[in-house]
Formats: sequence, C-alpha cells, structure tokens
Amino acid sequence: MLDGILVGLSTAASPLNILMVAVGCFAGTFIGMLPGLGPISAIALMIPITYGFDPATGLILMAGVYYGAIFGGSTSSILINAPGVAGTVATAFDGYPLAKQGHAGKALAIAAYSSFSGGTIAAIFLLIAAPSLAVVSLAFQSTDYFALMVLGLTAVAAFAGRGKVLKALLMTVLGLMLSTIGTDETQGMQRFTFGMLDLIDGISFLLLAMATFALSEALMSVLKPKTAADIQREKEANANLGSMKLSRAEVRDIAPVVGRSSILGFFVGVLPGAGATIASFLAYGMEQRLAGPEKGKEFGKGSIRGLAAPETANNAACSGSFVPLLTLGIPGSGTTAIMLGALISYGIQPGPRLFVENPEVFWSVIISMYLGNVILLVLNLPLIPYIARVLALPHTVLVPMILFFSLIGVYFVSFNTFDIQLMVIFAVAAVVLRLLDMPMAPMLLGFILGGMMEENLRRALIINNDSWAFLWERPLTLSILVIAALVLVAPMVSPLIGRSLAGRREDAGEGG
Amino acid sequence: MLTRDRLGAFLMLVFSIGYGVMIFDIPLLPFQANQAFTARTMPQALSLLGIALSLVLLLRPASTGADEEATWRRAMRQLLRPAPAGEDGRRPHPLLRVGLLCLLMVVYGLTVRLFGFLLSTTFFLAGGMFVLGERRLWILLGVSIAIVVFFWVLMTQFLGVYIAPLPQFLGR
Repeated sequence: MLDGILVGLSTAASPLNILMVAVGCFAGTFIGMLPGLGPISAIALMIPITYGFDPATGLILMAGVYYGAIFGGSTSSILINAPGVAGTVATAFDGYPLAKQGHAGKALAIAAYSSFSGGTIAAIFLLIAAPSLAVVSLAFQSTDYFALMVLGLTAVAAFAGRGKVLKALLMTVLGLMLSTIGTDETQGMQRFTFGMLDLIDGISFLLLAMATFALSEALMSVLKPKTAADIQREKEANANLGSMKLSRAEVRDIAPVVGRSSILGFFVGVLPGAGATIASFLAYGMEQRLAGPEKGKEFGKGSIRGLAAPETANNAACSGSFVPLLTLGIPGSGTTAIMLGALISYGIQPGPRLFVENPEVFWSVIISMYLGNVILLVLNLPLIPYIARVLALPHTVLVPMILFFSLIGVYFVSFNTFDIQLMVIFAVAAVVLRLLDMPMAPMLLGFILGGMMEENLRRALIINNDSWAFLWERPLTLSILVIAALVLVAPMVSPLIGRSLAGRREDAGEGG
Repeated sequence: MLTRDRLGAFLMLVFSIGYGVMIFDIPLLPFQANQAFTARTMPQALSLLGIALSLVLLLRPASTGADEEATWRRAMRQLLRPAPAGEDGRRPHPLLRVGLLCLLMVVYGLTVRLFGFLLSTTFFLAGGMFVLGERRLWILLGVSIAIVVFFWVLMTQFLGVYIAPLPQFLGR
C-alpha cells in the first residue's frame, strides 16, 4: 500500500496535476454556484478538455470539479437560498437563515471548514477501504459483475426518494434501451440505427450527458425565469458577507458534529445509489435529534450545527462514492457514472484490475482528494466574495454560453454536425421528462452500465454453456441479486408496514 | 385522472412499445437464432420491462396529492403564457424562447462548417442573447466576439485542436 501511496503522491504532486486540481476546484465552484447546474453538468463540460491529458490527470481534474461543484452549490445555497446541487439543499436550511442574519461570511467559512474536514476524513477512509475492497473484488467473475450492476441500478432507483422509485426504474430502463443503439459488439449486428451511418457507433455518453444535463438544465432555467425577488436576493448576497472568523466556542460546538457526519457521509457515499443528497439529509436529521430539545429548536433558524452536519456529510459522501467506482467499476451516482464513462473513453476499465494495471490512476485520484480539499480551503474560501459575483452574471449572457460550451464540447470530440442535431433532440426530450418530474441521473447510469451489463451477461452465459443457472447456483451472484431485490422492495414495502403498524396501534388504542 | 406521473408513464409506454416493435428489424443470422443470447435478447427484456413498469405506474393509485397536481398544472399552464414583466418592462414568453434557442442550436449545427467557427459561433451567441432579451448591440457583439476569439485561441494555440475559422467558400 505504501508503494501505491508513493506512486499516487508522485503523480498527484506533479505541477500539472496540482494545477489541474486547482483549476478543477475553481471551475467546479464557479459552475456549481450557478443555480440549476450541478456536478454532472460541471464534469460533462470539462470532459472535452480532459481528452488532451493522460487518464490520471483527466480524472484528477474531474475529481477537483466534483468537490468544487459541491462547494459552489453550498455557496449559492447559503447566499441566495438556491442550491446549485441537490446535495446542498440541506445546507440552505440553516445556511440561508445565517446569511439573512448578516453572518454570510461565517456561514461560508463553516461550510468550507466542514467540507474540508469531511472530505479529508473520508479520504483517509478511502485510502484504507478502496485497496482492501479492490483485493477482494479480484475474485469476482462476470456473473458477479452482472449482479453488481443490477444492484447498482436498482439501488439508484431505490434511493430516488419517496414516490419516485418506479419513475427512477423506468428511467434506468430508458438509459439501458439507449445503450443498445449502435452495433452489437459480439455479433456485429446493427440495432436501432435506422440505416444511419452516424448511429453505427451508438450514442456517445458525453453527448447524452451534455444534452440531458447541461443543455436541458440551461433550457429549464429559461423556462423558469427569475422573479424580481430572486434578482433582489442576488444583489443583497453580494453586498456584504460579514466576517469569516469563527470563535473558539463555535469551533468546539461543531467539532463533534463534523466527526460524526464524516463517518456517516462516507458510508452512505459508499452505498451504490445513495450519495451526497441522502448523506446530507441523514446527517442533518441525526444532528437535530442528538442536539436535544433546546439546541434542536435552533435547527432551521441559523444553527451552526445544522449547517456543519450536511456540509461535512455531502463532501464525505463524494469521497465515499469513489470506492465502488475505483474498486468495482460500478458508479454509485450519476456523477461517478459520468467519470466512469470518461475513464472508459480513455481506454481504461475501472474495476479491480485498475488497482493492478493502472496504480497511478487509482492512487493519484485518492491523493488528489487531499490536495483538492486543501485547495478548496486555501484558495476558494478567500476568493468566495469574488467568485460569488458569478451569481450576478446576467442570464442573457450565461445561458447562451452554457449552450455553446455544451454543443462545442461534443462537436470537438467527433467533428460531426449530426451530433449537434442529436443533442438538441435529446435536450428537448430531457426538458419534457424533467417537466414530468422524471429523474435523469438513473437514465445516465443505465446508459453507461448498459453496455457492460450486456457484455458481462453474455460472457457469463458463454462460460456456463448457455445456462441461466449461474444466477442461483453461484452463491456470490445469488447473494448480490438477493440484496438488489431487497433494496428495491424495501422502499415499496416499508410504507405498507408502517401503515399496518399504525392501524394496529390505533385498534389497540381504541380497544384499550 | 391524468397526473404528471401517468403522463410520463404513458410516454414511456409508447416508447417501450415502439422500441419493442423495432427489435424485429435487428438482423440475425440463421445460426444465431437458436443461441441463448443474441443481439435481440437484451432489447427484448428491456422492452418488456419498460412496458411492465409503465403499466404499473399508469395503473397504480396516484401517489401525488391533489394540491401538488394542481400546482404542477398551474406551472405548466404558465409556460404557455407570457411571464410577468421583468426589469426592462418586457413580458418574456419562456416556451417561445426555449423553442427559438433550440432552433438556433439546429441552425448552428448546420452552419458551423459552412460559415466557419468564428462567424457561426458569433451569430449563435449573439442570437442566443437576443432571444433571451439582450438588446444592447455592444454586449451582443462585444461579448460574443470576445468569447469566440478567446475560445478559438485557447483551443488552437494552447490545446492543439484545429478548428477551421473561416467559411468553406474562403478555402478555410
């Protein structure tokens, strides 16, 4: 492990990679701060640039963008109550009230220190957990991989939120369907190409990600124009941030919160499907309960504990979500899915072999997380008052710029104008689906995992002489599939159980 | 009642059926027809899964409350009408703006080779700003030209990506 750390350190500490972490954090903060644009869009917008670099540098840049986008989302949550990212919605609960009380600077500082602590503690866990899991996962076969992908996809749907499980599943299926467009790799047959040469290679993941996230999010922001109140809030946010200093008592108050939320955030992040959003809400809820009745009442009104908990947890979850990506090659979230897609296009197959075949990629990403967290704290925090001015950029300039960068990002990879037309079609479809409240991240995850899933299933069948019995005969495969079924059924069954228990309690109450 | 969930499910049902019908167009060689896994297997499974899930979502009791649905319907109706007047006194029509932006993107795709990167991108950016309500000429042209030139220099001089700057008829 020490050798690996040294390899990672020498790669991550090269001047170019340090520059990339800094650029990534800065660009991520900038993009994440724009309401509506999340880390998926931020990373998608950076991918065309990363094609010029080696895989380790590209991934380091994307990882930097990821933390930066989460941090930027927190800033817009605190300053204007408009989370740029779902993972920072809970940050606004106490961050915005603090800003309204004139403590915007303090709230931003707490967010930065908590993010730094959460990210750093989780990176230590990652340093221990990832190599151990990578060694274990070397024993995995294609049957297990197929089962793991099923688990990943069902988990994303299961964690989609109340009432959204079915919709998320449907969107996953849609992503899987889109992944079948193009030439079938084993038999060489064209599928759903309508005889068009442009579709023979299938749809590029970058095109789909840009169209369904960056483009459609920009178009959605046009559909929901800013109100006069929004504009006023943005003007006020830039007026005066106040002091960024924390007192010793405040640091003592949030220290245990940061410790607990880091652990919770990391482990929630490791679970496929759960991510920064769930981690931040869980941490917020946990701290509210632990705070006791007196302090608990302050939550939602500008409590520094209520701000520190989700901020720590969401950054810790970001680091945690790299565990399944780096060790199993299975992304746990839409954001890591897009990184997986980028890695595959570099010619690198993430998974247990990554640890053996590309140790510099594996370790440098982990080491770059420390650098990223330091840069966020040292560079971004003092620059926040200036970066926050991005919020005042007029929409009339910003939206065409986002559209341009999205279109050109895809065009510069293929130099095929058909891709631009295809992007418009996908963006319009994504806007319609967003208006119908259909979640887009499961679709992207399904699309990226679709090809691998089919390939592993086909390989498993060939190994097992065209018999499907491997699904129940191999214990590891069966266990993973059972977990997938439980994960999927749990959110559907738990409300029914809750209702029946409540009914029984009522009956008992009436009877007694 | 046609809720937004059911509308989404209906669209997905139509898509899944269309996808399922098109599976028959996937060619199979005679010896492949009896294999356990062919180029059609995965699409068939996905089509069935899509149809089943859409039907469940379509036929299950509505999960959203009447209030939530009413709010959503109001928001959708609002998209068809002009928005309240902004700082400039204009009443933008969001759906029309999105439609025009999409049209601009399509035109950009058709003209980026014909008119070259510099000209077509400047037109696209200025057009996009105009559609979104910007009327000051110095911003329309100044910002567009600045972005285009900066990006072109960055890509060609620093990242080594060749982009034809001039229109085709000028010999690129």
